[in-house]
Amino acid sequence: MRYIKKTVLSSYDIVLIMLCLFLSVFGLVMIYSTSSYNAARYYGDPKLYFNRQGLFLIIGFIAMIIVSRIDYRWYIKPWFGIKWLKPVWMLYIICLGMQVYVLVRGYAAGGSSRWIQIAGLGNFQPSEVTKICFIVMVAYLAQKSPKKMNYFSGYLIVIIVMSPLLALVAKQNLSTAIIMAGILTVICFTVARRKAYFIWVFFLLAAAAVPFVMFAGYRAERIENWLHPENLESGSQILGGLYAIASGGLWGKGLGESIQKLGYIPEVHTDMIFTVICEELGIFGAILVIATVLFMLWRLMLIAINAPDLYGSLIATGVLAHIALQVLLNIAVVTNSIPATGIPFPFISYGGSSLLVIMAEMGIALSISNYTVREISDEEVYQA
Amino acid sequence: MDNYREERRKKENKKLTGIMKKNLYLVFFVILVLCGVLIGRLVYLNNVNGDKYAKAVLSQQSYSTKTIASERGRILDRNGIVLARSEKVYNVVIDPKVIMSQDYYLKPTLEGITYIFGYDETEIENLIKDNKDSSYIVYEKDVDYALVSAFNKYKNSHKFVVGIWFEEQYERVYPYASLASHVIGFVNDGAGNYGLEQYYNDTLTGTDGLSYGYYDSELNMQKVEKQPIDGSTLVSTIDFNIQTVIQEKSAEFQNETGCNNIGIIVMDPNSGEILGMTSNREYDLNEPRDLKSAYPEEEISEMDDSQKLDAMFKMWKNFCITDSYEPGSTFKTITVAAALEEDKVYSGSDFECLGYKEVGGWKIGCNSKSGHGHINLAEALMKSCNCALMDIAEKLGSDAFYRYENLFGFGRKTGIDLTGETSGIIIDRKNLNVTELATSSFGTTFNVSMIQIASAYCSIINGGTYYKPHVVKEIRKGGIASDIETPDYATTQTVSKKTSDFIRNALYMTVEQGTATPAKVDGYIVGGKTGTAQKRPREEKRYVVSFAGFAPVNDPKVLVYIVIDEVHDESMAGSSGPATRMSSAIMKEILPYLGLYPEGDIEYNVDYSLIGEIPDDGEDYGDELNSDVLPEGIDGH
Repeated sequence: MRYIKKTVLSSYDIVLIMLCLFLSVFGLVMIYSTSSYNAARYYGDPKLYFNRQGLFLIIGFIAMIIVSRIDYRWYIKPWFGIKWLKPVWMLYIICLGMQVYVLVRGYAAGGSSRWIQIAGLGNFQPSEVTKICFIVMVAYLAQKSPKKMNYFSGYLIVIIVMSPLLALVAKQNLSTAIIMAGILTVICFTVARRKAYFIWVFFLLAAAAVPFVMFAGYRAERIENWLHPENLESGSQILGGLYAIASGGLWGKGLGESIQKLGYIPEVHTDMIFTVICEELGIFGAILVIATVLFMLWRLMLIAINAPDLYGSLIATGVLAHIALQVLLNIAVVTNSIPATGIPFPFISYGGSSLLVIMAEMGIALSISNYTVREISDEEVYQA
Repeated sequence: MDNYREERRKKENKKLTGIMKKNLYLVFFVILVLCGVLIGRLVYLNNVNGDKYAKAVLSQQSYSTKTIASERGRILDRNGIVLARSEKVYNVVIDPKVIMSQDYYLKPTLEGITYIFGYDETEIENLIKDNKDSSYIVYEKDVDYALVSAFNKYKNSHKFVVGIWFEEQYERVYPYASLASHVIGFVNDGAGNYGLEQYYNDTLTGTDGLSYGYYDSELNMQKVEKQPIDGSTLVSTIDFNIQTVIQEKSAEFQNETGCNNIGIIVMDPNSGEILGMTSNREYDLNEPRDLKSAYPEEEISEMDDSQKLDAMFKMWKNFCITDSYEPGSTFKTITVAAALEEDKVYSGSDFECLGYKEVGGWKIGCNSKSGHGHINLAEALMKSCNCALMDIAEKLGSDAFYRYENLFGFGRKTGIDLTGETSGIIIDRKNLNVTELATSSFGTTFNVSMIQIASAYCSIINGGTYYKPHVVKEIRKGGIASDIETPDYATTQTVSKKTSDFIRNALYMTVEQGTATPAKVDGYIVGGKTGTAQKRPREEKRYVVSFAGFAPVNDPKVLVYIVIDEVHDESMAGSSGPATRMSSAIMKEILPYLGLYPEGDIEYNVDYSLIGEIPDDGEDYGDELNSDVLPEGIDGH
């Protein structure tokens, strides 16, 4: 059989969907393993967290498929021919509003708050949505004039545009702000032809971080915990995690066999879940998880490279950066490689809004792959 | 124009340039490297840090495993009076290894311990320095709790005071010192010696708990305590008041008259419960090695060590169960009961006593050298006639006699729940020939223990139920009053009610008119049987005298059995008088206590149809004196 005409194929990335499902279902299993003891102990229902996360997984999956069918270019398409009336700006303003809302409400409640309560869905963390906004916004800004990114001024402009959001998020959740800044930097870096300035930006930031850490009391304590987790009471979570990792060995204790999850690590099913993976499945299991994430990043990179336009490439790059940063930072924290900060492991850690948003984010990446067409020659078809 | 178009087209369809792809590859490469670094970190944590944390845990270890002593169960009298209990005491334990583990521990610790306990600082310092590698030095025993809590308080406010801890121990305390010492026994190194303490050692001993520490994941010392299970409490059948009375009477007699051995058992005939049991000199259970309570001081000072040890063993033993002797005439009751039961005799049986009887070529005497003449069965008991008893045994025959000996529990242990019981010695069936049968019939040529006689008597007077004698009524598990185990004591049937009725009435007559008149108690109807047995060698004229009495005759509530071995008074050497008088004195005090009050001049109508006519000739049968009734050469065993 021979085809003569050229064939156009969509490269909708089924593999990426599979990877998303694999990681989140695996996460669900680990959440059940880690949380059932505490859930049964405090709420009388061992499946409490499992059920909630399962519900969000289903919703998230549906959201992912829906979002993947929306043309990603729609986000930067002007409405009614008005140049500035683009969905991406609307999203920017909505996120700004939500961040201001939580900030004000937080002040009213007498402390910092990151949550918005939504009836029926529980707590919702607007900074999660803000991350998506960040990715599409920065990608939009960067693709508008990629050449400007060759200079620090271009980078600075992007930062200035994004700074209201960044500042608001940093106010409540520094680690999320760091991730956002990271996403921003990776996107700008990818576009930049000349990138020497990134090196001195890096050193400038490092120099700025020192007084920042020194003068904020609780951050200094975190550093102290980092260096000597055994000395401080608040180092217990980190130390518990280290014990979990160190006791896992190469092959682990077996699924469900963790000891540290039995009340020794506070909130083990959220940010610390990777330690229990290490304890129960060993280094082997941890490497498999990391490899799966790397495979996912690889697929995202392929989407970025094959994207029909620069905008798509940069969104995919942003998603890649987001997942990579969160995974790297999470593992670095739980292994006490950097000072502790609350960063969930994407897809695996417990957290409804986090899962929902990351699924939607993957939906955008899938949408890019959906609009990626491949023109294949006869030869290739024949081979296929 | 073309140029511009080109630019426009480019602008509209921007794509990822080669440089950008390279940048992306670089980003991915960096992520890959970082992942590799983190995996390396995981491996490092697994291989290296495990040891590091383990060492940290070990270096800070200040809490060692120790046992928590369980409390030995208490021993109560039947009404809950505590006869034995355990009190917590503390030993000061020094752990030099911990104290010397850091330079800055020694000084504050020394200051603390000398400040609270007033020890000599240099002495302790030297002790610690000389025993650097030791972890356990008991420095002082039996320290007050007040000091212990004061020190713990001090320790809490002084961070570097370490390596001093307290070991809890229980010390056995007997609030009534020598009360029922032979029944209770004492505790030595945690193990019971003699009496209930030894017999019920396993029950009284609890399970020690354990306390140990470990560091949890948060590096906090977790103290785990496995609580000890306390030993069970024994509720004994001993009645504090009855015991006090019999000990008083016994001591009184020993002080005034003296004897080699004395034993008194007070029993409830309807249950086999021992209400009181005393023998010889009771010793102070709190000081079981102190001979003073049993021996005069001048005697102790003359003893060498082995004599002292012998004296202790003698002092600790319970004569009522550990010694056997020839029962003498008290046994006649058992022979008569057996013959009645076997229908070999009846109340109308009559006997001719010539003062002796020739059996198997031996001439065996009666306590009355001149003979009792013509007597009936009841009179045989009243007058304690050996000849009549020999006739009865002859009718009964060796087989039945031996069978009844066994039925009444002679020749084997009764199984009383006390340590050191003897089985006594009876003549076995194949050696029980006519002569042995004859001499055995009135309680000579074989040995019994007091508890055997007392238990046999109980069964005869209570209507025929033999209760296994016992000292423990109930066991409260772990000392908890709600978890009570009541031991089931076996019973067997010995005689019929008819036989029991006859014996009770005949023994009433024995006290009323017979050989046991001093045992009478005003206002009560008392029954009983005396016994005298001449010890070997016969020519020394040493006697074991005894009396087994009970009251009231129509429904016996209490049995008192007294055995006195060699009264130290020539004038009453072979007389059962001391035993009968003591029984009377004891009953007079304990009967009201048991709820039986004297009824003034009471006339108990003996059922003569039951025991046959007893000629009321106003004659006092006097004391029974079984002197030289057995010819030289007869030896039961």
